[in-house]
Amino acid sequence: MSARYGMVIDLDRCTGCGSCMMACAAENNVPPLPQSSERTGLTPVLVRKVSNGKDGTSRREAFIPILCMHCEHDTPCVKVCPQQAVEVDKATGIVMQMPQRCLGCRYCMTACPYHARYFNWRDPAWPPGMEKSLNPGVAVRMRGVVEKCNLCHARFHAAKEKAAAAGKREINPPDYVPACVEACPTGAIHFGNLADANDPVSKEARSPEAFRLLARIGTEPKVYYKSKEAWVRALAEPNSARASEVQHG
Amino acid sequence: MKVTRRDLLVWSAGAAAGLMVTPVPWKILDDTSKWSQNWPWIPQPARVPIETKQSFCTLCPKGCGLRVHMAAGWPVGVAGTATHPVSRGALCPLAFGAHQLNWHPRRLRTVRHGASDSSWQAAQGAFAQAAKEGRVVVVEGYPGRAASSVFETFAQKHGGRCQVVLGSESRSLKPYELWTGVNASSLGYDLENAKTIVSFAAPLLDGWGSPGQFTRLWAERAAGMNDPQLRLIQVESSLSRTAARAWQWVPIREGSDSAMAAGLAYALLEQKLVPAHGPVPSATLSAVAAETGLTPDAIRESARTIVAKTPVLVIARDENPSVAALNVLLGSVGARGGVVRVLKNERPVLSADQTITDARAVLIDASVPWEFNPQTSAEVFRFAAWDGGGSREDWLLPAPGFLEDVVDVPTAPASSVETYAVAPALVKATSEVKSAAQFLGNLDSTLLTSEKIIQTRCEDLFRARVGTLHGREAIRVSEVPSVEKLREELWKGAVWTGDASPPGRLRCELKEWPASAAAKTVDDWSSEWAAPVLPPLATKLYIESGLREAPQRRNA
Repeated sequence: MSARYGMVIDLDRCTGCGSCMMACAAENNVPPLPQSSERTGLTPVLVRKVSNGKDGTSRREAFIPILCMHCEHDTPCVKVCPQQAVEVDKATGIVMQMPQRCLGCRYCMTACPYHARYFNWRDPAWPPGMEKSLNPGVAVRMRGVVEKCNLCHARFHAAKEKAAAAGKREINPPDYVPACVEACPTGAIHFGNLADANDPVSKEARSPEAFRLLARIGTEPKVYYKSKEAWVRALAEPNSARASEVQHG
Repeated sequence: MKVTRRDLLVWSAGAAAGLMVTPVPWKILDDTSKWSQNWPWIPQPARVPIETKQSFCTLCPKGCGLRVHMAAGWPVGVAGTATHPVSRGALCPLAFGAHQLNWHPRRLRTVRHGASDSSWQAAQGAFAQAAKEGRVVVVEGYPGRAASSVFETFAQKHGGRCQVVLGSESRSLKPYELWTGVNASSLGYDLENAKTIVSFAAPLLDGWGSPGQFTRLWAERAAGMNDPQLRLIQVESSLSRTAARAWQWVPIREGSDSAMAAGLAYALLEQKLVPAHGPVPSATLSAVAAETGLTPDAIRESARTIVAKTPVLVIARDENPSVAALNVLLGSVGARGGVVRVLKNERPVLSADQTITDARAVLIDASVPWEFNPQTSAEVFRFAAWDGGGSREDWLLPAPGFLEDVVDVPTAPASSVETYAVAPALVKATSEVKSAAQFLGNLDSTLLTSEKIIQTRCEDLFRARVGTLHGREAIRVSEVPSVEKLREELWKGAVWTGDASPPGRLRCELKEWPASAAAKTVDDWSSEWAAPVLPPLATKLYIESGLREAPQRRNA
């Protein structure tokens, strides 16, 4: 049975510590930022600070981890890629990026409504010896290609191999947990199979507090967010009258 | 015009030669390489199996449980240990890049004397000579380890002394030392049983204490709840990460923490919300209001909110007697959910002086934060795994890096749970490094080694037959069949926890309301990260995301 892996991120629990960004970078062999660079590093997960737009004691802030939303319908990056370097994996629902096919045109970056894709401007490089600390499960991407979150697909492969070794076709769900989910100290990021109606994540995604970013454009993202705060939920549709009211009111 | 075969050949040759000076062949070559990923200088990790080992983070005194992923003998990733009774699987963000630190460009690999390279023999000779000529002061950062015992023994034998640079959590407990007669290092905050926590700018959700201890508790009992089981009230001048997530944020003017504490005490007594005993702050509510920027009614309201759900625990960011006195007034010292005594027989620790005048040599352990630079005319021997830059020490000695040495991990600062664990050496050092304890052991062969002291401590734990060993499963120490088994479990990453005992009333005498404490500069990097450098990936936190301010004193 094919799965639809997705996430529900509880923004009321996110403290903006950045553990998810660090764990993701270490897991996926993201090279360190060259000293001369300014904000051009690769951040498959990027935690953004948002506010209700007010000052003084009425000011409220929250943190939103932004990653590839793994859009299910009319996936914008898939539609524009001239190289077929992006595809939605039918078995998992994960939007896969294949660096070997990517020619670096960056159409997908332009098409992505979430700005969740990054271009490799440089050859990946580490200080001498540090290449020994790279994760053997993940290949290093070359200069000139686009990359993004693939829900730690190497961990999915490892879980598949483990299941196969045990003579099973389906993976054991606890064996496949992305690095950001594992690292979150408050347990704000929940990961599971949205296709399974009994999966806790699937249930959470259907709760009234759950929402998706830019849901109106109809790309059916598989990353959901959750908050009890109305002003946070309103940020999901930045151009809507409601969000404008919250931000400037 | 007639085109001959010769013309065709000339044009072909010309086109071929011309093509070579265009970008086309190089672009083809580049694309081919890109597609095949075969540039020789792009590192590709070797396809080797990954093995997971248990250990503990020793980059700060909190000792969080680590699962270290190892490949071909090198650490390739870290994650938290969910079964750790205190850190509960959580780590600070910096720990996720800790496995890369041993390869940091600023890693110290040779002995440095002033501006030039030297040798271990020369350093040992110089230290031995200095120890002969006068007093030696040893400064360390994580008291209670086996290495601390080596330092104390050496200092005692050679007429010197041992001093400790305490972290902000331990410093916040210092005022109680004077009022209770119990060492600050023996006290802890009983977060588990508190119902309301009033934090005076303490970054409780941002690396304070063992990062997992409070964040997990907050996530379970408070996050996103309108009426949480645990109320976190953050009194702070700015909307910090903790303030942003707190149940209530009380914004006060910067540096007015002491005044606010006095104002709350006054309001509590004025409204008879607490029994009137002990000293009364002299400040009036209107004076406090003027200093904090709040109204007297807002202070009264805050006082009522604080006591609405008890037990109440007040935590200061640093040493602040006025804030600590609030706990005395609220009856939270020695009470469940308050400030409790954790260790029974902890020896007093001497806080490190910024000026050391009476020593011939000062030895600074690698556990001391790089920012600690004492004013002294003594010869300074500093151990460090990384060169933080701007060093004024006479000797800079390369210490073991991340997981390169056996280190024991005693109870974390301010924790209410007594713990003991051992972080084994999982990684081989690639250059000749020595810990300060090994260095002293080389000078004085009568000193016990850290390994021997750890062995003795294991035997003591076994003989005492109290507490629980948290490994793959939790077992009572009384059920462990032998000391070898206990030692083996600890070496494999188990954590010993002491038995929780009723706090027992601490005799607390507060004769007069403390004077205001000077406000200290707030550092956005709240974690007590002792290493002078940050993992290279830490730029994610302050450049790519801008979540934090760029570190001024640390090298990424």
